Amino acid sequence: MMLRVSNLKAAYGKIEALHGISFHVEKGEIVTLIGANGAGKSTTLKALMRLPPPESPSVTGGDIEFDGVSILGMEAHRIVSGLKMTLVPEGRHIFGNLTVVENLQLAAWTRKNENIGREIHHIFDMFPRLAERARQRSDTLSGGEQQMLAVGRALMTKCSVLLLDEPSMGLAPLIMYDMFRTLKRLNADGLTIIVVEQNALLALQVADRGYVLDTGEIVAEGPAEDLLRTPEIKAVYLGG
Amino acid sequence: MQRYAVNVLFCAAAVALVGLAQAGMLDKYVLTIITFMGINCIFAVSLNLVNGYMGEFSCGHGGFMCVGAYTGSLLSVAFFTNSKLFGPALFPPELAPFLFPLVLIGAGSVAALFGLIVALPSFHTRDDYLAIITIAANYIIISVVENIDAIGGPRGFSGMRRVVGAMSDVADVPWMLIWTIVGLFVCVMTIYRLMTSTYGKGISAVCQNEVAAEIMGVDTNRVKIMAFMVSSGLAGLSGALYAHVYGYVNAQAFNILKSTEGLVIVYLGGMGSISGVLLAAIAFTLLVEALRFVMPWLNDILHAANLLPAGYELSQVWKWVIIPLILILLMQFRPEGFLGNRELTQVFPRLKRWITLK
Repeated sequence: MMLRVSNLKAAYGKIEALHGISFHVEKGEIVTLIGANGAGKSTTLKALMRLPPPESPSVTGGDIEFDGVSILGMEAHRIVSGLKMTLVPEGRHIFGNLTVVENLQLAAWTRKNENIGREIHHIFDMFPRLAERARQRSDTLSGGEQQMLAVGRALMTKCSVLLLDEPSMGLAPLIMYDMFRTLKRLNADGLTIIVVEQNALLALQVADRGYVLDTGEIVAEGPAEDLLRTPEIKAVYLGG
Repeated sequence: MQRYAVNVLFCAAAVALVGLAQAGMLDKYVLTIITFMGINCIFAVSLNLVNGYMGEFSCGHGGFMCVGAYTGSLLSVAFFTNSKLFGPALFPPELAPFLFPLVLIGAGSVAALFGLIVALPSFHTRDDYLAIITIAANYIIISVVENIDAIGGPRGFSGMRRVVGAMSDVADVPWMLIWTIVGLFVCVMTIYRLMTSTYGKGISAVCQNEVAAEIMGVDTNRVKIMAFMVSSGLAGLSGALYAHVYGYVNAQAFNILKSTEGLVIVYLGGMGSISGVLLAAIAFTLLVEALRFVMPWLNDILHAANLLPAGYELSQVWKWVIIPLILILLMQFRPEGFLGNRELTQVFPRLKRWITLK
Protein backbone atom coordinates (compact mmCIF):
# COMPACT_ATOMS: atom_id res chain seq x y z
CA MET A 1 0.00 0.00 0.00
CA MET A 2 1.54 3.25 -1.12
CA LEU A 3 -0.53 5.95 0.52
CA ARG A 4 -2.80 5.42 3.50
CA VAL A 5 -4.91 8.17 5.00
CA SER A 6 -6.53 7.24 8.28
CA ASN A 7 -9.17 9.24 10.10
CA LEU A 8 -7.76 12.50 8.72
CA LYS A 9 -9.14 15.68 10.22
CA ALA A 10 -8.15 19.01 8.74
CA ALA A 11 -9.17 22.56 9.51
CA TYR A 12 -8.76 26.10 8.28
CA GLY A 13 -8.28 27.97 11.51
CA LYS A 14 -11.18 26.82 13.67
CA ILE A 15 -13.38 25.61 10.85
CA GLU A 16 -13.03 21.88 10.36
CA ALA A 17 -13.18 20.94 6.69
CA LEU A 18 -12.45 17.22 6.93
CA HIS A 19 -14.15 15.29 9.74
CA GLY A 20 -11.99 12.18 9.72
CA ILE A 21 -11.69 10.57 6.32
CA SER A 22 -9.86 7.34 5.52
CA PHE A 23 -8.74 6.07 2.17
CA HIS A 24 -5.79 4.41 0.54
CA VAL A 25 -4.04 4.37 -2.80
CA GLU A 26 -2.09 1.45 -4.25
CA LYS A 27 0.94 1.85 -6.48
CA GLY A 28 -0.03 2.23 -10.13
CA GLU A 29 -3.68 3.06 -9.47
CA ILE A 30 -5.84 5.92 -10.63
CA VAL A 31 -8.02 6.95 -7.70
CA THR A 32 -10.58 9.70 -7.95
CA LEU A 33 -12.21 11.80 -5.25
CA ILE A 34 -15.54 13.16 -6.39
CA GLY A 35 -18.08 15.33 -4.67
CA ALA A 36 -19.90 18.64 -4.75
CA ASN A 37 -18.39 22.07 -4.08
CA GLY A 38 -17.13 22.37 -0.54
CA ALA A 39 -17.01 18.62 0.02
CA GLY A 40 -13.33 18.78 0.97
CA LYS A 41 -11.70 17.39 -2.17
CA SER A 42 -9.12 20.11 -2.68
CA THR A 43 -8.56 20.28 1.06
CA THR A 44 -7.63 16.60 1.00
CA LEU A 45 -5.06 17.11 -1.74
CA LYS A 46 -3.55 20.15 -0.03
CA ALA A 47 -3.31 18.19 3.21
CA LEU A 48 -1.63 15.31 1.36
CA MET A 49 0.92 17.72 -0.10
CA ARG A 50 1.52 19.26 3.35
CA LEU A 51 1.16 22.76 1.90
CA PRO A 52 1.50 25.38 4.63
CA PRO A 53 -1.41 27.30 6.19
CA PRO A 54 -3.13 29.75 5.94
CA GLU A 55 -4.10 28.96 2.32
CA SER A 56 -3.97 25.27 3.08
CA PRO A 57 -5.53 23.39 5.99
CA SER A 58 -3.72 22.30 9.10
CA VAL A 59 -4.13 18.65 10.03
CA THR A 60 -5.79 18.35 13.42
CA GLY A 61 -6.11 14.59 13.69
CA GLY A 62 -5.46 11.28 12.01
CA ASP A 63 -2.46 10.34 9.97
CA ILE A 64 -1.11 10.25 6.41
CA GLU A 65 1.34 7.46 5.69
CA PHE A 66 3.49 7.07 2.61
CA ASP A 67 4.99 3.58 2.28
CA GLY A 68 4.17 3.04 5.93
CA VAL A 69 5.86 6.19 7.23
CA SER A 70 3.91 9.19 8.53
CA ILE A 71 4.51 12.31 6.45
CA LEU A 72 2.72 14.76 8.75
CA GLY A 73 5.99 16.34 9.86
CA MET A 74 7.28 16.82 6.34
CA GLU A 75 7.33 20.08 4.38
CA ALA A 76 5.84 20.27 0.91
CA HIS A 77 9.13 20.68 -0.92
CA ARG A 78 10.50 17.59 0.87
CA ILE A 79 7.47 15.62 -0.28
CA VAL A 80 8.23 16.64 -3.84
CA SER A 81 11.96 15.95 -3.73
CA GLY A 82 11.93 13.01 -1.32
CA LEU A 83 8.72 11.11 -1.97
CA LYS A 84 8.36 12.08 -5.63
CA MET A 85 4.77 13.15 -5.13
CA THR A 86 3.51 16.43 -6.56
CA LEU A 87 0.36 18.38 -7.24
CA VAL A 88 -1.20 20.07 -10.25
CA PRO A 89 -3.08 22.73 -8.32
CA GLU A 90 -6.53 24.03 -9.03
CA GLY A 91 -6.22 27.12 -11.20
CA ARG A 92 -2.89 25.89 -12.60
CA HIS A 93 -0.57 28.30 -10.75
CA ILE A 94 1.92 28.45 -13.60
CA PHE A 95 4.71 31.04 -13.48
CA GLY A 96 3.05 33.58 -15.76
CA ASN A 97 6.09 35.83 -16.15
CA LEU A 98 8.26 33.04 -17.46
CA THR A 99 8.22 31.35 -20.83
CA VAL A 100 6.97 27.79 -21.28
CA VAL A 101 10.51 26.41 -21.36
CA GLU A 102 11.52 28.39 -18.28
CA ASN A 103 8.52 27.01 -16.40
CA LEU A 104 9.63 23.49 -17.23
CA GLN A 105 13.24 24.23 -16.31
CA LEU A 106 12.21 25.63 -12.97
CA ALA A 107 10.34 22.43 -12.23
CA ALA A 108 13.64 20.57 -12.37
CA TRP A 109 14.82 22.73 -9.46
CA THR A 110 15.40 19.79 -7.16
CA ARG A 111 17.74 18.14 -9.66
CA LYS A 112 20.22 20.94 -10.02
CA ASN A 113 22.92 19.66 -12.30
CA GLU A 114 21.24 17.18 -14.58
CA ASN A 115 20.78 17.65 -18.28
CA ILE A 116 17.07 18.31 -18.57
CA GLY A 117 16.86 19.06 -22.29
CA ARG A 118 15.74 15.54 -23.13
CA GLU A 119 13.02 15.55 -20.51
CA ILE A 120 11.67 18.81 -21.85
CA HIS A 121 11.51 17.23 -25.30
CA HIS A 122 9.62 14.33 -23.79
CA ILE A 123 7.05 16.74 -22.38
CA PHE A 124 6.80 18.42 -25.78
CA ASP A 125 6.15 15.02 -27.41
CA MET A 126 3.30 14.52 -25.00
CA PHE A 127 1.86 18.01 -25.50
CA PRO A 128 2.88 19.19 -28.99
CA ARG A 129 0.96 22.45 -28.48
CA LEU A 130 3.49 23.44 -25.83
CA ALA A 131 6.37 22.92 -28.26
CA GLU A 132 4.81 25.48 -30.57
CA ARG A 133 4.64 27.96 -27.71
CA ALA A 134 8.00 27.10 -26.15
CA ARG A 135 9.39 30.65 -26.11
CA GLN A 136 6.12 32.38 -25.37
CA ARG A 137 5.32 33.93 -22.00
CA SER A 138 3.11 31.38 -20.31
CA ASP A 139 0.41 33.84 -19.22
CA THR A 140 -0.36 34.38 -22.92
CA LEU A 141 -1.34 30.72 -23.33
CA SER A 142 -4.95 29.62 -23.57
CA GLY A 143 -6.57 27.87 -20.61
CA GLY A 144 -6.08 24.42 -22.09
CA GLU A 145 -2.45 25.08 -22.89
CA GLN A 146 -1.87 26.39 -19.39
CA GLN A 147 -3.33 23.19 -17.97
CA MET A 148 -1.01 21.16 -20.22
CA LEU A 149 1.88 23.24 -18.97
CA ALA A 150 0.83 22.69 -15.36
CA VAL A 151 0.77 18.92 -15.91
CA GLY A 152 4.01 18.99 -17.89
CA ARG A 153 5.65 21.03 -15.18
CA ALA A 154 4.54 18.58 -12.52
CA LEU A 155 5.96 15.68 -14.57
CA MET A 156 9.29 17.54 -14.82
CA THR A 157 9.75 16.95 -11.10
CA LYS A 158 10.10 13.25 -12.02
CA CYS A 159 7.21 12.40 -9.76
CA SER A 160 5.84 8.89 -9.31
CA VAL A 161 2.60 10.04 -7.67
CA LEU A 162 0.66 12.85 -9.29
CA LEU A 163 -2.21 14.64 -7.60
CA LEU A 164 -4.51 16.63 -9.86
CA ASP A 165 -7.02 19.18 -8.63
CA GLU A 166 -9.84 19.62 -11.14
CA PRO A 167 -7.79 19.19 -14.31
CA SER A 168 -10.90 19.58 -16.46
CA MET A 169 -11.82 22.99 -15.08
CA GLY A 170 -12.36 25.52 -17.85
CA LEU A 171 -11.35 23.17 -20.62
CA ALA A 172 -13.28 22.61 -23.85
CA PRO A 173 -14.68 19.04 -24.00
CA LEU A 174 -12.25 17.86 -26.67
CA ILE A 175 -9.21 19.12 -24.80
CA MET A 176 -10.61 17.67 -21.61
CA TYR A 177 -10.85 14.18 -23.13
CA ASP A 178 -7.33 14.60 -24.54
CA MET A 179 -6.06 15.48 -21.09
CA PHE A 180 -7.61 12.41 -19.50
CA ARG A 181 -6.31 10.18 -22.31
CA THR A 182 -2.83 11.51 -21.60
CA LEU A 183 -3.29 10.79 -17.90
CA LYS A 184 -4.37 7.24 -18.70
CA ARG A 185 -1.26 6.77 -20.85
CA LEU A 186 0.99 8.10 -18.08
CA ASN A 187 -0.71 5.71 -15.69
CA ALA A 188 0.02 2.80 -18.05
CA ASP A 189 3.69 3.84 -17.84
CA GLY A 190 3.56 3.40 -14.07
CA LEU A 191 2.43 6.79 -12.70
CA THR A 192 0.11 6.64 -9.69
CA ILE A 193 -2.63 9.24 -10.02
CA ILE A 194 -5.06 10.78 -7.55
CA VAL A 195 -7.51 13.04 -9.32
CA VAL A 196 -10.14 15.32 -7.82
CA GLU A 197 -13.00 16.12 -10.16
CA GLN A 198 -16.30 17.90 -10.44
CA ASN A 199 -16.88 16.05 -13.68
CA ALA A 200 -17.59 12.79 -11.88
CA LEU A 201 -18.64 10.85 -14.96
CA LEU A 202 -15.38 11.53 -16.76
CA ALA A 203 -13.29 10.84 -13.67
CA LEU A 204 -15.00 7.54 -12.92
CA GLN A 205 -14.59 6.38 -16.51
CA VAL A 206 -10.83 6.78 -16.24
CA ALA A 207 -10.26 5.78 -12.61
CA ASP A 208 -9.76 2.34 -11.08
CA ARG A 209 -11.44 3.24 -7.79
CA GLY A 210 -13.35 6.20 -6.48
CA TYR A 211 -14.35 7.86 -3.22
CA VAL A 212 -17.36 10.12 -2.88
CA LEU A 213 -16.94 13.00 -0.46
CA ASP A 214 -19.74 14.98 1.08
CA THR A 215 -19.17 17.86 3.53
CA GLY A 216 -15.91 16.50 4.83
CA GLU A 217 -16.83 12.85 5.04
CA ILE A 218 -16.53 9.87 2.73
CA VAL A 219 -20.04 8.66 1.95
CA ALA A 220 -19.30 6.01 -0.67
CA GLU A 221 -16.35 4.16 -2.08
CA GLY A 222 -15.56 1.32 -4.39
CA PRO A 223 -14.37 0.32 -7.85
CA ALA A 224 -15.17 2.99 -10.39
CA GLU A 225 -17.58 0.80 -12.44
CA ASP A 226 -19.59 0.02 -9.31
CA LEU A 227 -19.87 3.69 -8.38
CA LEU A 228 -20.97 4.50 -11.91
CA ARG A 229 -23.82 2.01 -11.52
CA THR A 230 -24.92 2.96 -7.99
CA PRO A 231 -28.35 4.65 -8.32
CA GLU A 232 -27.87 7.28 -5.58
CA ILE A 233 -24.56 8.38 -6.95
CA LYS A 234 -25.98 8.46 -10.43
CA ALA A 235 -28.78 10.67 -9.20
CA VAL A 236 -26.66 13.11 -7.21
CA TYR A 237 -23.36 13.35 -9.08
CA LEU A 238 -23.82 12.00 -12.57
CA GLY A 239 -26.99 13.79 -13.55
CA GLY A 240 -29.52 10.96 -13.50
CA MET B 1 38.48 40.55 -25.67
CA GLN B 2 35.68 42.68 -27.04
CA ARG B 3 33.23 41.49 -24.44
CA TYR B 4 35.37 42.93 -21.68
CA ALA B 5 35.05 46.43 -23.14
CA VAL B 6 32.41 47.72 -20.70
CA ASN B 7 34.10 46.09 -17.73
CA VAL B 8 37.41 47.70 -18.65
CA LEU B 9 35.57 50.99 -19.14
CA PHE B 10 34.11 50.77 -15.63
CA CYS B 11 37.47 49.92 -14.12
CA ALA B 12 39.04 52.79 -16.00
CA ALA B 13 36.29 55.13 -14.78
CA ALA B 14 36.80 53.98 -11.19
CA VAL B 15 40.58 54.43 -11.45
CA ALA B 16 40.13 57.82 -13.12
CA LEU B 17 37.76 58.90 -10.37
CA VAL B 18 40.17 57.89 -7.65
CA GLY B 19 43.00 59.51 -9.59
CA LEU B 20 41.13 62.78 -9.97
CA ALA B 21 40.24 62.81 -6.30
CA GLN B 22 43.85 62.05 -5.42
CA ALA B 23 45.15 64.85 -7.62
CA GLY B 24 42.76 67.22 -5.87
CA MET B 25 40.86 67.96 -9.07
CA LEU B 26 37.52 67.15 -7.39
CA ASP B 27 36.54 69.37 -4.55
CA LYS B 28 35.44 67.81 -1.32
CA TYR B 29 31.75 68.43 -2.03
CA VAL B 30 31.79 66.67 -5.41
CA LEU B 31 33.77 63.80 -3.93
CA THR B 32 31.25 63.35 -1.13
CA ILE B 33 28.34 63.38 -3.58
CA ILE B 34 30.00 60.73 -5.72
CA THR B 35 30.62 58.58 -2.66
CA PHE B 36 27.02 58.94 -1.54
CA MET B 37 25.94 57.98 -5.03
CA GLY B 38 27.80 54.71 -4.61
CA ILE B 39 26.31 54.14 -1.16
CA ASN B 40 22.80 54.79 -2.46
CA CYS B 41 23.52 52.33 -5.28
CA ILE B 42 24.43 49.60 -2.79
CA PHE B 43 21.41 50.40 -0.62
CA ALA B 44 18.96 50.34 -3.53
CA VAL B 45 20.40 47.33 -5.36
CA SER B 46 20.20 45.31 -2.14
CA LEU B 47 16.59 46.39 -1.57
CA ASN B 48 15.86 45.39 -5.15
CA LEU B 49 16.67 41.77 -4.29
CA VAL B 50 13.68 41.60 -1.96
CA ASN B 51 11.28 44.07 -3.56
CA GLY B 52 12.15 43.51 -7.19
CA TYR B 53 13.25 39.91 -7.55
CA MET B 54 11.39 38.26 -4.70
CA GLY B 55 8.29 40.43 -5.00
CA GLU B 56 7.89 41.13 -1.29
CA PHE B 57 7.26 44.71 -0.25
CA SER B 58 9.91 45.52 2.31
CA CYS B 59 9.72 49.10 3.56
CA GLY B 60 12.07 48.88 6.50
CA HIS B 61 15.35 48.60 4.68
CA GLY B 62 16.73 51.66 6.48
CA GLY B 63 16.71 49.66 9.70
CA PHE B 64 19.32 47.25 8.37
CA MET B 65 21.42 50.15 7.13
CA CYS B 66 21.22 51.49 10.69
CA VAL B 67 22.44 48.19 12.14
CA GLY B 68 25.32 48.15 9.66
CA ALA B 69 26.18 51.77 10.32
CA TYR B 70 26.35 51.34 14.08
CA THR B 71 28.09 47.95 13.97
CA GLY B 72 30.66 49.27 11.51
CA SER B 73 31.24 52.40 13.58
CA LEU B 74 31.58 50.53 16.86
CA LEU B 75 33.93 47.97 15.33
CA SER B 76 36.21 50.50 13.72
CA VAL B 77 36.30 52.73 16.80
CA ALA B 78 37.10 49.72 18.98
CA PHE B 79 39.69 48.38 16.54
CA PHE B 80 41.66 51.46 15.64
CA THR B 81 41.14 54.27 18.16
CA ASN B 82 41.48 54.86 21.86
CA SER B 83 37.99 55.59 23.07
CA LYS B 84 36.18 56.04 26.36
CA LEU B 85 33.76 53.30 25.40
CA PHE B 86 36.20 50.55 24.44
CA GLY B 87 39.46 51.69 26.00
CA PRO B 88 42.70 51.47 24.03
CA ALA B 89 42.70 50.45 20.38
CA LEU B 90 42.76 46.71 19.71
CA PHE B 91 45.05 47.09 16.73
CA PRO B 92 47.67 49.70 15.94
CA PRO B 93 46.02 52.44 13.82
CA GLU B 94 48.57 51.77 11.06
CA LEU B 95 46.67 48.56 10.30
CA ALA B 96 43.40 50.44 9.66
CA PRO B 97 43.54 50.37 5.84
CA PHE B 98 44.22 46.64 5.85
CA LEU B 99 41.71 45.61 8.49
CA PHE B 100 38.94 47.94 7.38
CA PRO B 101 37.36 45.18 5.22
CA LEU B 102 36.86 43.27 8.50
CA VAL B 103 34.78 46.19 9.77
CA LEU B 104 32.67 46.10 6.60
CA ILE B 105 32.24 42.32 6.75
CA GLY B 106 31.32 42.53 10.43
CA ALA B 107 28.74 45.25 9.76
CA GLY B 108 27.27 43.22 6.90
CA SER B 109 27.11 40.01 8.92
CA VAL B 110 25.37 41.59 11.91
CA ALA B 111 22.89 43.35 9.63
CA ALA B 112 22.27 40.02 7.87
CA LEU B 113 21.43 38.45 11.23
CA PHE B 114 18.97 41.26 11.87
CA GLY B 115 17.47 40.39 8.49
CA LEU B 116 16.06 37.33 10.26
CA ILE B 117 13.64 39.66 12.11
CA VAL B 118 11.88 40.01 8.79
CA ALA B 119 12.76 36.66 7.22
CA LEU B 120 11.19 34.50 9.92
CA PRO B 121 7.75 36.17 9.93
CA SER B 122 7.80 36.02 6.12
CA PHE B 123 7.24 32.25 6.28
CA HIS B 124 3.60 32.71 7.11
CA THR B 125 3.00 36.33 6.23
CA ARG B 126 2.86 37.96 2.86
CA ASP B 127 2.24 41.17 0.96
CA ASP B 128 0.79 44.09 2.90
CA TYR B 129 1.07 42.27 6.21
CA LEU B 130 4.74 41.57 5.70
CA ALA B 131 5.21 45.19 4.65
CA ILE B 132 3.85 46.27 8.04
CA ILE B 133 6.23 43.88 9.79
CA THR B 134 9.15 45.43 7.92
CA ILE B 135 8.08 48.91 9.02
CA ALA B 136 7.81 47.64 12.56
CA ALA B 137 11.30 46.12 12.32
CA ASN B 138 12.60 49.49 11.13
CA TYR B 139 11.03 51.25 14.13
CA ILE B 140 12.21 48.62 16.61
CA ILE B 141 15.81 48.86 15.43
CA ILE B 142 15.83 52.64 15.60
CA SER B 143 14.18 52.83 19.02
CA VAL B 144 16.57 50.25 20.44
CA VAL B 145 19.62 52.08 19.11
CA GLU B 146 18.29 55.42 20.29
CA ASN B 147 17.81 54.09 23.80
CA ILE B 148 21.26 52.58 24.30
CA ASP B 149 23.00 55.42 26.03
CA ALA B 150 26.45 53.81 25.86
CA ILE B 151 26.55 54.36 22.09
CA GLY B 152 25.27 57.89 22.25
CA GLY B 153 21.55 57.28 22.29
CA PRO B 154 19.69 60.06 20.51
CA ARG B 155 22.88 62.15 20.37
CA GLY B 156 24.40 59.80 17.85
CA PHE B 157 27.83 58.25 17.72
CA SER B 158 31.06 59.61 16.31
CA GLY B 159 34.77 58.88 16.19
CA MET B 160 34.92 57.27 12.78
CA ARG B 161 36.65 60.31 11.34
CA ARG B 162 39.71 59.39 13.38
CA VAL B 163 39.70 55.96 11.73
CA VAL B 164 39.53 57.47 8.26
CA GLY B 165 42.27 59.83 9.41
CA ALA B 166 44.36 56.86 10.53
CA MET B 167 43.95 55.34 7.08
CA SER B 168 45.02 58.60 5.46
CA ASP B 169 48.09 58.72 7.69
CA VAL B 170 49.23 55.41 6.21
CA ALA B 171 48.60 56.48 2.63
CA ASP B 172 47.01 59.74 1.60
CA VAL B 173 44.43 58.46 -0.89
CA PRO B 174 40.62 58.95 -0.95
CA TRP B 175 39.97 55.82 1.11
CA MET B 176 36.23 56.07 1.48
CA LEU B 177 35.75 56.48 -2.27
CA ILE B 178 37.85 53.38 -2.85
CA TRP B 179 35.96 51.33 -0.25
CA THR B 180 32.65 52.46 -1.70
CA ILE B 181 33.68 51.38 -5.19
CA VAL B 182 34.84 48.02 -3.82
CA GLY B 183 31.60 47.66 -1.85
CA LEU B 184 29.48 48.48 -4.88
CA PHE B 185 31.36 45.94 -6.97
CA VAL B 186 30.89 43.23 -4.31
CA CYS B 187 27.20 44.12 -3.99
CA VAL B 188 26.40 44.04 -7.71
CA MET B 189 28.36 40.84 -8.30
CA THR B 190 26.76 39.10 -5.30
CA ILE B 191 23.26 39.89 -6.46
CA TYR B 192 23.96 39.18 -10.11
CA ARG B 193 25.56 35.83 -9.34
CA LEU B 194 22.82 34.95 -6.88
CA MET B 195 20.06 35.71 -9.37
CA THR B 196 21.65 33.69 -12.16
CA SER B 197 22.16 30.69 -9.87
CA THR B 198 19.64 27.97 -9.05
CA TYR B 199 18.77 29.91 -5.90
CA GLY B 200 17.95 32.87 -8.11
CA LYS B 201 15.46 30.76 -10.02
CA GLY B 202 13.97 29.79 -6.67
CA ILE B 203 13.68 33.48 -5.75
CA SER B 204 11.83 34.19 -9.03
CA ALA B 205 9.57 31.23 -8.34
CA VAL B 206 8.71 32.52 -4.87
CA CYS B 207 8.01 35.92 -6.42
CA GLN B 208 5.61 34.44 -8.94
CA ASN B 209 3.72 31.94 -6.89
CA GLU B 210 4.71 30.47 -3.57
CA VAL B 211 2.40 27.47 -3.70
CA ALA B 212 3.64 26.54 -7.16
CA ALA B 213 7.23 27.02 -6.04
CA GLU B 214 6.69 24.69 -3.11
CA ILE B 215 5.15 21.94 -5.25
CA MET B 216 8.08 22.20 -7.62
CA GLY B 217 10.25 21.25 -4.68
CA VAL B 218 11.59 24.73 -3.92
CA ASP B 219 12.33 25.15 -0.22
CA THR B 220 10.60 28.52 -0.06
CA ASN B 221 11.58 29.21 3.54
CA ARG B 222 15.24 28.69 2.82
CA VAL B 223 15.05 30.84 -0.29
CA LYS B 224 13.40 33.64 1.71
CA ILE B 225 15.96 33.50 4.51
CA MET B 226 18.72 33.62 1.92
CA ALA B 227 17.25 36.60 0.07
CA PHE B 228 16.41 38.61 3.19
CA MET B 229 19.80 37.97 4.76
CA VAL B 230 21.80 38.84 1.65
CA SER B 231 19.68 41.93 1.14
CA SER B 232 19.94 43.23 4.68
CA GLY B 233 23.61 42.30 4.88
CA LEU B 234 24.40 44.45 1.86
CA ALA B 235 22.28 47.25 3.32
CA GLY B 236 24.45 46.94 6.43
CA LEU B 237 27.52 47.31 4.25
CA SER B 238 26.13 50.53 2.79
CA GLY B 239 25.39 51.73 6.32
CA ALA B 240 28.96 51.12 7.48
CA LEU B 241 30.30 53.06 4.49
CA TYR B 242 27.83 55.89 5.14
CA ALA B 243 28.91 56.14 8.77
CA HIS B 244 32.57 56.47 7.82
CA VAL B 245 31.97 58.99 5.05
CA TYR B 246 29.92 61.18 7.40
CA GLY B 247 32.07 60.52 10.43
CA TYR B 248 28.95 60.57 12.56
CA VAL B 249 25.83 58.39 12.83
CA ASN B 250 22.44 59.05 14.29
CA ALA B 251 19.66 56.48 14.34
CA GLN B 252 17.11 58.96 13.00
CA ALA B 253 19.07 59.17 9.75
CA PHE B 254 17.85 55.64 9.00
CA ASN B 255 14.18 56.03 9.79
CA ILE B 256 11.29 55.28 7.51
CA LEU B 257 12.27 58.20 5.26
CA LYS B 258 15.55 56.50 4.41
CA SER B 259 13.66 53.28 3.66
CA THR B 260 11.27 55.22 1.46
CA GLU B 261 14.19 56.75 -0.40
CA GLY B 262 15.35 53.22 -1.21
CA LEU B 263 11.86 52.26 -2.39
CA VAL B 264 11.68 55.33 -4.57
CA ILE B 265 14.98 54.48 -6.23
CA VAL B 266 13.95 50.87 -6.84
CA TYR B 267 10.62 51.87 -8.38
CA LEU B 268 12.27 54.63 -10.36
CA GLY B 269 14.78 52.25 -11.88
CA GLY B 270 12.49 49.31 -12.46
CA MET B 271 11.92 46.38 -10.16
CA GLY B 272 14.18 43.44 -10.79
CA SER B 273 16.70 45.33 -12.87
CA ILE B 274 20.16 45.87 -11.42
CA SER B 275 21.25 48.30 -14.13
CA GLY B 276 17.97 50.21 -13.89
CA VAL B 277 18.32 50.62 -10.13
CA LEU B 278 21.95 51.73 -10.48
CA LEU B 279 20.90 54.39 -12.99
CA ALA B 280 18.04 55.47 -10.73
CA ALA B 281 20.27 55.71 -7.66
CA ILE B 282 22.69 57.94 -9.54
CA ALA B 283 19.89 60.04 -11.03
CA PHE B 284 18.12 60.41 -7.69
CA THR B 285 21.25 61.49 -5.82
CA LEU B 286 22.04 63.98 -8.57
CA LEU B 287 18.49 65.30 -8.61
CA VAL B 288 18.44 65.93 -4.86
CA GLU B 289 21.74 67.79 -5.06
CA ALA B 290 20.96 69.65 -8.28
CA LEU B 291 17.73 71.05 -6.86
CA ARG B 292 19.78 72.63 -4.09
CA PHE B 293 21.19 74.97 -6.75
CA VAL B 294 18.01 75.20 -8.78
CA MET B 295 15.87 76.44 -5.89
CA PRO B 296 17.45 79.94 -5.48
CA TRP B 297 17.47 80.27 -9.23
CA LEU B 298 13.80 79.30 -9.45
CA ASN B 299 13.11 81.77 -6.64
CA ASP B 300 14.67 84.60 -8.66
CA ILE B 301 12.74 83.70 -11.80
CA LEU B 302 9.42 83.50 -9.99
CA HIS B 303 10.04 86.84 -8.29
CA ALA B 304 11.03 88.44 -11.58
CA ALA B 305 7.81 87.15 -13.11
CA ASN B 306 5.89 88.49 -10.12
CA LEU B 307 4.43 85.07 -9.38
CA LEU B 308 5.44 85.13 -5.73
CA PRO B 309 4.40 87.68 -3.07
CA ALA B 310 7.23 90.11 -2.44
CA GLY B 311 8.09 89.02 1.10
CA TYR B 312 8.10 85.27 0.38
CA GLU B 313 11.33 83.46 -0.42
CA LEU B 314 11.22 80.01 -1.93
CA SER B 315 13.14 77.86 0.54
CA GLN B 316 15.02 74.60 0.11
CA VAL B 317 12.09 72.75 1.66
CA TRP B 318 10.26 73.06 -1.64
CA LYS B 319 12.71 70.53 -2.99
CA TRP B 320 10.62 67.90 -1.22
CA VAL B 321 7.58 69.04 -3.11
CA ILE B 322 9.29 68.96 -6.46
CA ILE B 323 10.89 65.53 -6.06
CA PRO B 324 7.64 63.72 -5.16
CA LEU B 325 5.96 65.61 -7.99
CA ILE B 326 8.51 64.27 -10.45
CA LEU B 327 7.82 60.81 -9.07
CA ILE B 328 4.08 61.17 -9.51
CA LEU B 329 4.59 62.20 -13.10
CA LEU B 330 6.96 59.31 -13.70
CA MET B 331 4.53 56.80 -12.23
CA GLN B 332 1.79 58.22 -14.41
CA PHE B 333 3.70 58.02 -17.66
CA ARG B 334 6.19 55.25 -17.06
CA PRO B 335 4.94 53.11 -14.17
CA GLU B 336 7.45 50.35 -14.85
CA GLY B 337 10.38 52.68 -14.08
CA PHE B 338 13.37 53.40 -16.30
CA LEU B 339 13.95 49.85 -17.50
CA GLY B 340 10.97 47.83 -16.29
CA ASN B 341 12.17 44.45 -15.13
CA ARG B 342 14.76 44.28 -17.88
CA GLU B 343 18.48 44.89 -17.75
CA LEU B 344 20.26 47.37 -19.98
CA THR B 345 21.64 44.46 -21.99
CA GLN B 346 18.09 43.34 -22.74
CA VAL B 347 16.97 46.82 -23.75
CA PHE B 348 20.04 47.23 -25.95
CA PRO B 349 20.98 43.68 -26.99
CA ARG B 350 24.07 44.94 -28.79
CA LEU B 351 25.61 45.80 -25.43
CA LYS B 352 25.93 42.07 -24.80
CA ARG B 353 28.91 41.89 -27.12
CA TRP B 354 30.74 44.42 -25.00
CA ILE B 355 30.08 43.16 -21.54
CA THR B 356 30.60 40.04 -19.50
CA LEU B 357 29.68 39.42 -15.91
CA LYS B 358 31.24 36.01 -15.46
